[in-house]
Amino acid sequence: MGLKSLWNKLYDTLSSVKTGIFLIIVVGIFSAIGTVILQRPTSEPEDLQRNYSPETLLWLDRLGLTDIFHSGWFLVLLVLFCTCLIFVSLDRWPNAWKAYTKPVRFATAPFRASLPFTAKFNAGNEAAALSAAEKAFQKVGYSPEKVSEGGASGLFGERQKFAVFSVYVVHLSLLLIFAGYILDGFVGYRGNIQVTEGQAKNVIVLRDNKGGSTKKELPFFIRCDAAGMESYADGSPKKWWSKLALLENGREVVTKTIIVNDPLTYKGIRIYQASMGQSSTPRLLTFAAAPAAGGEPVMVDVPINGKATLPDGESLSVLRFVPDYYIQDNEVFQKSDDPENPAIQLGLTDAKGETKKLWILYAQANSTQGQAAPYIFSIKNAKWAQYTGLEVSHQPGQFGVWAGVVVMAFGLMLAFYAQHTRVWATIIESEGGKQLWVGGTTNKNRDRFQTKFEEIKAELAKELGTPASKPKA
Amino acid sequence: MSEARVEQRQQNGTVLLVLVGLGIAFALLVALLTAAKAHTGPIYGEANMLYAALVLYAGAAALYMGYGVTGIERYVNSATVLTTLGFLANTAAVAHRWSVAGRPPFSNMYEMLLSFVWTLALLTLIAERAYKVKIIGSITMPITVVSVILMQLLPSDVRPLVPALQSTWLQVHVSLAMLSYAACAVSFALAMMFLVQDGMKSESFQALTSTGTIAIYAAMLITRFRGGALAVTAYDLESKAEVMVSRGHPLFIQIPDLGWLYLLVLLSALAPLALYVVGQIKKMPELFDAGSKAMFISIVVQVLGLAIFVARVKNGQYASPDADGFYRTALPANPFLLAGIVGSILAGLLYLLLLWRREGLQRMLPPAEVLDRVTYKIIGIAFPLLTLMIAAGAYWANQAWGSYWSWDPKETWAAITWLVYAGYLHMRITRGWKGRRAAWFAILGFGVVIFTFFGVTYLLPGLHAYAAG
Repeated sequence: MGLKSLWNKLYDTLSSVKTGIFLIIVVGIFSAIGTVILQRPTSEPEDLQRNYSPETLLWLDRLGLTDIFHSGWFLVLLVLFCTCLIFVSLDRWPNAWKAYTKPVRFATAPFRASLPFTAKFNAGNEAAALSAAEKAFQKVGYSPEKVSEGGASGLFGERQKFAVFSVYVVHLSLLLIFAGYILDGFVGYRGNIQVTEGQAKNVIVLRDNKGGSTKKELPFFIRCDAAGMESYADGSPKKWWSKLALLENGREVVTKTIIVNDPLTYKGIRIYQASMGQSSTPRLLTFAAAPAAGGEPVMVDVPINGKATLPDGESLSVLRFVPDYYIQDNEVFQKSDDPENPAIQLGLTDAKGETKKLWILYAQANSTQGQAAPYIFSIKNAKWAQYTGLEVSHQPGQFGVWAGVVVMAFGLMLAFYAQHTRVWATIIESEGGKQLWVGGTTNKNRDRFQTKFEEIKAELAKELGTPASKPKA
Repeated sequence: MSEARVEQRQQNGTVLLVLVGLGIAFALLVALLTAAKAHTGPIYGEANMLYAALVLYAGAAALYMGYGVTGIERYVNSATVLTTLGFLANTAAVAHRWSVAGRPPFSNMYEMLLSFVWTLALLTLIAERAYKVKIIGSITMPITVVSVILMQLLPSDVRPLVPALQSTWLQVHVSLAMLSYAACAVSFALAMMFLVQDGMKSESFQALTSTGTIAIYAAMLITRFRGGALAVTAYDLESKAEVMVSRGHPLFIQIPDLGWLYLLVLLSALAPLALYVVGQIKKMPELFDAGSKAMFISIVVQVLGLAIFVARVKNGQYASPDADGFYRTALPANPFLLAGIVGSILAGLLYLLLLWRREGLQRMLPPAEVLDRVTYKIIGIAFPLLTLMIAAGAYWANQAWGSYWSWDPKETWAAITWLVYAGYLHMRITRGWKGRRAAWFAILGFGVVIFTFFGVTYLLPGLHAYAAG
């Protein structure tokens, strides 16, 4: 068994419609399974653990059944199907091309016998009969050409012959869609990022089955200048918005206020509004400043990146904010993002420009008492910054998909509504003398063609002054 | 012997008339009892118009079925008039809702059913006028009646759209879905009629019907059976909303013993199928008659099951293993269960209609060849609509969620539906599949449509979850 016969075998398998149908059924079955078994990218890990026993889950993971749609073997199935589609189309292409460029023009005896619609008329004069046929064909919309073979002459006409290609257009559209999707499987990505107002970030967490452990750096920074939400009277959300700026090499390249259903696109990367919430980063802190010498405390609002002026001319700023702290080796560390137990380092700058650093360690006391300064500060209130949850995706293959959809719409129109019809006429010899023979065929919608063929017959009967000969019983 | 059989059939025909009448009366009673919403507002308002449509559609369904039973032409003429009037009322309801909401009614299950029913009634009228398939109303109109009853149970207040739904593509996507699904429903009805005309044996229809019933009850029991009890969703009658444990997780309460009852219903549907299978294998046709009787019993058991379900849901408070205390429930919280139960009963009634009035039906239906061709034509309309519906959905998802395809269960099942109909057309065009094989294909396609429309929403989790309420 040589390479050649192996190739032939492979070719025969791949160019068989049965293989294609088998593959697409397998794809369909696994897709259905993928909607019943919980899939890792779209489910919480706890849900999987609650629904399946550890052994089951282990095996589901091993078999790739918890992430069917992104597994290698599913992609292989899709690629195999595409290959099959290409082979099937190529295998049948020469026939279609021949039918398009070199149709059967002259109706020979065996061909005549194969046609579904035929009629015969007694004809005295050959030329007159053929010209009557020409007229009849023209009347129903054909422009017949004169053909001859072996001395016999005849007519041939066809309409909408491009319908021959409808199947190729539909197959091509499927290939475009699959190619786009497969391309995205290799070069596309999708992830999310949370950006707090005032912050700029460039690392997204990829959406895959690894539970948020894969990160990716974007070629630009996303800065959120403001974010917010509006609600309906009943409290349900009406609008989420984020004012974003993209920074490339520190320079602002594009700004846009995005909302749900209206993303920002830059260099093929699309940024979507996905969620919204309150961050643990304060925007504005309010302190009570009580003069150390005694007296009524005053309230001071300190913006997180700015400063506030106290009545005596000193300025106050927040040097560090740790939402939840612990102390080790005399250093302040962050324990969590939950702003329940903050540590705040304040900077108090006097008229001479000297800065004193003061700590409020909330767990010990909400006060700077005991630290040498003209005021005793305590934290009274905080306004928190909003964070915006953004979905980031890069799917260059989508243009293949959209192109495929348009081509498919076109192909389906062709497949359903373009009707390739052909008609022939020729003179035949029969027992009773010369006869005009007309015949026709259609690729679909026989009823409509039948009425058309009846029109041709009626026209001929009128022209020739004789009804169609009854076919022998 | 044969004369005796004919005699018996005629008697059965009378029984059937009573049965159909009782069935419709019962359905209407359920509707009236549960549709006791306050019908306030203007007389031309949506609630009143929908109610008028329900009554008219129910009348039309009864007349169409009466035509099926008796073959009296007069019935179908009146049925057409009622359907047209119902359609007008339905249009008024759609228009009123549209103007109140300021957007087309496609955003939740209630609104989608409103549009679906409208399209189905329109297609029924078209099929009747253009294709002269008069009997089609006896299948489509009961579907509209069930849908409108279901709508009376679903929360119907006009809710503002959450951000993800504020897109023109949503309207395009859903209107295409409604159109294509309604066309699929019509093709299903035509394929069933084809099987009748093509001489498929009545016992095979019986096997088909009981298989459908078994599938419905098996799906309910697999998802809702809890040690003899049946889990239903808790419902807060004050706020007219499901009680939620957390976001996306409704609280399930258990109605004791109802699970056993539904297991019994499942067994009652297994009996006729078992008799059919044994009859086929052992070549004992006399078992088919026994199967018909078992089928009759099964339908009665199902009606009883429905009555007990409604009674227990409406009266009583039930405990839940997930929360303390007792909770109430209501029919609106369980549209999936209710649709399954009522749908199964209607399918059974249609089977009885076929069993007892087959000759009459066959005289009234167009020839098999015509039905086969019209089925193909309707699928030829449904399929491009289905394709565009999926494409519009993908485009919308790309705008709202960041990806044109996420393999969300609803998407995946829409793709499977597309594949099944693509298979039908492919086999028909390239392999010349016609007749019975094609009809089975069309029936399979509609089965998948039903699963995609209801099954996925209520059985499988996913992004399209907002459609549930």
